[in-house]
Amino acid sequence: MKETIQIIDNQSGQLVDAEIFDEVALAHFIETQAEWRPVVLEAARALSKSPNQATLIPRHYHWDWTRKEAELKMLALKFYGLSCEERLQGIMKVETVARSCRLPEQQGKPLVYIDYIETAPWNIKQLMVPLGKAQQYRGVGSRLFEAAVLQSVEEDFKGRLGLHSLPGSEGFYIRECGMTPVGRDPHKQNLLWCEFTPEQARRYLAGE
Amino acid sequence: MKFNTDRKWLERRADQEDRHFISVGGLISTLDPTCQTELESTQSMETTKTAFARLLQLARRERRLSLENLAEKADVDLAELFKIETDEAFTPNLRTVHQLALVLDLPAKKLMVLAGLLQVKDVSLQQASVRFAARSEPIGNVSPEEHAALEEYVKFLNER
Repeated sequence: MKETIQIIDNQSGQLVDAEIFDEVALAHFIETQAEWRPVVLEAARALSKSPNQATLIPRHYHWDWTRKEAELKMLALKFYGLSCEERLQGIMKVETVARSCRLPEQQGKPLVYIDYIETAPWNIKQLMVPLGKAQQYRGVGSRLFEAAVLQSVEEDFKGRLGLHSLPGSEGFYIRECGMTPVGRDPHKQNLLWCEFTPEQARRYLAGE
Repeated sequence: MKFNTDRKWLERRADQEDRHFISVGGLISTLDPTCQTELESTQSMETTKTAFARLLQLARRERRLSLENLAEKADVDLAELFKIETDEAFTPNLRTVHQLALVLDLPAKKLMVLAGLLQVKDVSLQQASVRFAARSEPIGNVSPEEHAALEEYVKFLNER
């Protein structure tokens, strides 16, 4: 799968073409390690001077992607990449087998589980501000999230989607995306499990 | 896949995204010892580089050498020497550090570690560097306290 979509160039405010694809290769993982990590560390150091901000630094920026190579071949997992101007701008990992719905009205039904979303640090406003820089592209994470919802629709899961949100991201998934907070998961560092029903997913895609 | 092509939809989603981290995973502050180690190691390198800059400056002033004198004696670039003493994030080149070690009679290998050119996990060196950096000031004449701190630190570097 490879589709042309649009994201926003922050400097010009114009829409620019980008590609979203699911043929993520080891080279993409290496690219995130080599290019993203130094920028993230620099921003993390700047943020760590402010204790309140430091607690918000997402752990996943330090994932060792090269260890994920074996997972590329697993059918139940899917990796999406988003690139613009031949540079990787965001990456996402979803699962379709291991987890199911927890909301009472759709308990046990299959869903798409977002295990991981990361956008390149230069596209994250909160990381660029402490470095005195402007972000490059906007909407990258939203496009990846949209791809996960669309996958759920395509797999006949009707838009049902689940994820474990970080405390600093709960507002985004609950208030902005309209997911339902189901409860804290003691098996996943007590993070909040959030879920989309088909109706919520439909509203998200339609922008209602 | 049928992605939304409406510009307003995208702008609204981008605005929402800009107000939050959208992470799915865990927190750096509570999880993942590998990333904590990486951050700590970066911070520890900053401390040893501060100690490196202070050490060179004090050792130079102890010998009553100006920056120009030292650059000439060590046959190193004056601008690089100036950078070493004033910019603690700066990483000098290997030859410069070697030459400075010779002229200032300091252990070259230790100096390279302090300059960030060699990486070794050495807790006592880190602690000694923090103590030294805390006891020395970057400007003015070498005070008796600074002299004592310098002597103690150089002795520590030479002993190991």
